Amino acid sequence: MKAWRALALVAPLLLAACAGLLGIRPSDASHPFEHRAHVLKGISCLACHRGISSAGESGPLHLPTDADCRGCHAKPHDERPCSGCHGASYVRGAAELAKEHLRFDHGQHMAAVDGDCVRCHTAVGEARPEALRPKMATCFGCHQHRDQWTLRDCDGCHVDLAAEDTPPESHLVHDGDWIREHGVRAGSERDLCSSCHTERSCAACHGVGTVPALPSKLTFDDVKLYGLHRAGFRARHAEEARADPGLCTTCHSENTCVDCHTASHVSPEGTRRSPHPPGWVTAGAGGGPHGQQARIDPASCAGCHGGAGERLCVGCHRVGGPGGNPHGPGFRSAKNKATDVPCRLCHTGTP
Amino acid sequence: MLSKAKATCQRRKRRAGAFVAALALGAVTPEARADPIRLRADAIADTQSETMSPTGLVVLQGQDRVRPWLDAEGLVWAGAKPDTTGDVLVLALHVREPHGYGDLRVGRFVVATGAVFPVQIDGADAVARTPWGSSLEAFGGAPAVPRFGSRSYDWLAGGRVSQSVASVVTVGASYLQRRDVGDVSNEELGADLAAAPLAWLDLAAKGAYELASPGLADARVSAAVRTGAVRTELFASEQSPGRLLPATSLFSVLGDFPSERAGATIRWRAAPRLDVLLSGAGLWVGDQPGADGWIRSTLRLDDRGEGSVGVEVHSVDVTGARWTGLRLVSARPLGRSFRLSSELELVVPDEPNGRGAAWPWGLMACSWRNRLGWEIAGAVEAASSPEYRYEVNALARVSRTLGSP
Repeated sequence: MKAWRALALVAPLLLAACAGLLGIRPSDASHPFEHRAHVLKGISCLACHRGISSAGESGPLHLPTDADCRGCHAKPHDERPCSGCHGASYVRGAAELAKEHLRFDHGQHMAAVDGDCVRCHTAVGEARPEALRPKMATCFGCHQHRDQWTLRDCDGCHVDLAAEDTPPESHLVHDGDWIREHGVRAGSERDLCSSCHTERSCAACHGVGTVPALPSKLTFDDVKLYGLHRAGFRARHAEEARADPGLCTTCHSENTCVDCHTASHVSPEGTRRSPHPPGWVTAGAGGGPHGQQARIDPASCAGCHGGAGERLCVGCHRVGGPGGNPHGPGFRSAKNKATDVPCRLCHTGTP
Repeated sequence: MLSKAKATCQRRKRRAGAFVAALALGAVTPEARADPIRLRADAIADTQSETMSPTGLVVLQGQDRVRPWLDAEGLVWAGAKPDTTGDVLVLALHVREPHGYGDLRVGRFVVATGAVFPVQIDGADAVARTPWGSSLEAFGGAPAVPRFGSRSYDWLAGGRVSQSVASVVTVGASYLQRRDVGDVSNEELGADLAAAPLAWLDLAAKGAYELASPGLADARVSAAVRTGAVRTELFASEQSPGRLLPATSLFSVLGDFPSERAGATIRWRAAPRLDVLLSGAGLWVGDQPGADGWIRSTLRLDDRGEGSVGVEVHSVDVTGARWTGLRLVSARPLGRSFRLSSELELVVPDEPNGRGAAWPWGLMACSWRNRLGWEIAGAVEAASSPEYRYEVNALARVSRTLGSP
């Protein structure tokens, strides 16, 4: 009971001490600007954001200066710049990014909304808004951009999505175990992916012969927890392959294993070491564990034995040979066993 | 009559000539560029414990948007690992109808659409779209051969049709046929679905049926729910590894066991700078059940995430692949230009079989970058693995970036 009391006392203290580290307490002194108080006083947005009603795609941000603030607050409580505390830095950062990456003309929109800024900047009425920049859904509220969305025609608003390199806030967030998840998500929306990602995003992993150019190899100093080949992957690659049969084939060609195993002399051809345990192939019924393992992950066998290895199998598993029938229960094939490859290798002995 | 036809022909030739000249001039006029060319060059060197000799790699990647409707991209590398060699990873020209009604890619690129298994080809891919959400895609070419290898007579062709409904649901059907020396090596029929019926719910599924060796080759389902700081994803998949191989391979006729996996991943933003990820799955590998689970936590040391520390505990329990691992990563900027990173992993195999009781791995890296796009990084890597009792490697990289990355 005493322990629980001590924990109840220590936990809030610990949390308070770590609040800055965890980001619960903002590290800088700034706080969101008091838009709500100004709105409730009936102060027009244009009184502070001078010139915004005619602002085009380029030019200044039209944020208020100290002089604008002192127009009303004649006796400021502090001599330091107002924006040092009033207005969160991330909101100003977002506005700068928007100016740089979006085609937007405030002048064209002011007439359409009758000068009512809140119609788009809905968050100004909130006490602690996360962001003041309208979300994309707000744009879609007036503009019938459905065609552009369907056609992936983003250039009308985004200057260059690939260069923007800004993860979307409200949709398509690459969250969770994205490396596993991205395949099924991209299946139906490949062209949506390509609105931000370039060809080399896919080819870096799914291209043949990519190993030396893997992003994690190139950027060894950019340490991450996620990624299929991070850290000491080479030591445990056999374990990883066994736990998820077929996964390696998603990216690697059949030659990947043999290229590496031959180079490091872990192959029958190298004759120095074999990746197979003792008793891998035995004479008699069952033939040892190789048959069972070959059915679990035939792709890993093909990784090394794709060429000469096939002939190796045929030596025992040909029709009438000592290896018996290698087909598993319920095996079906649309191929002609007398003429098609690979059936004819065993059934007729024709290479 | 003949002279009239000749004059018409000459007019057409002149018009065609003027059109080509205008096109060529437009393409080279500097102000026609929408964006500057983006280039990146990396030179990497490391030592290999096998020979203790340095090996190198040079990677060049570039991208240029010549016009809003035309861009080109390339990624090539050359290296000495283990022998002097090189490859073209991407070399593609992308032509786009300005309003998005169509796309054409030609060159070397990865085709990954619908349920089609990703494959890198030298060929072409064309997509046509309609404003009412239909799309038709067709692609064809020769599968890429690594390291400029010789090609046997093989090719693939396929396509996909899809329909979106009110930007909420997209359904598609795909087909792929691949031939190897004239024989059918894969013939795949696929279906895919993506839906976001509610703001907090995403659904996606795809499945491919192999016709050459009749049976389900690959099927995946994912459903994600977002509620505040928590995102939960339920997933399931079934793969038939034998059917992922070309049907011309002898290993495709063994009649494989499907590999099945089902589980959940939960992401919890516990605090503004603290993310916790938890994942667990039940597996069925061969005729044996198994499990795979991990917990991962990342704490960002500043609002922009430039510094961070992370920890992961991972455990796999599958016949022949039982292990538990602990990983620690940390990255910390030192001033404006330097960055110090370190990574540590300790894997303990449940069945060492003479390969060592534990496999530690560690890396310590330092990098420097300036505003002109230069970057220099160096690292020392040390490990003990089933292959080597101990190994120490040094890595170095020099990079130069022009334009945005």
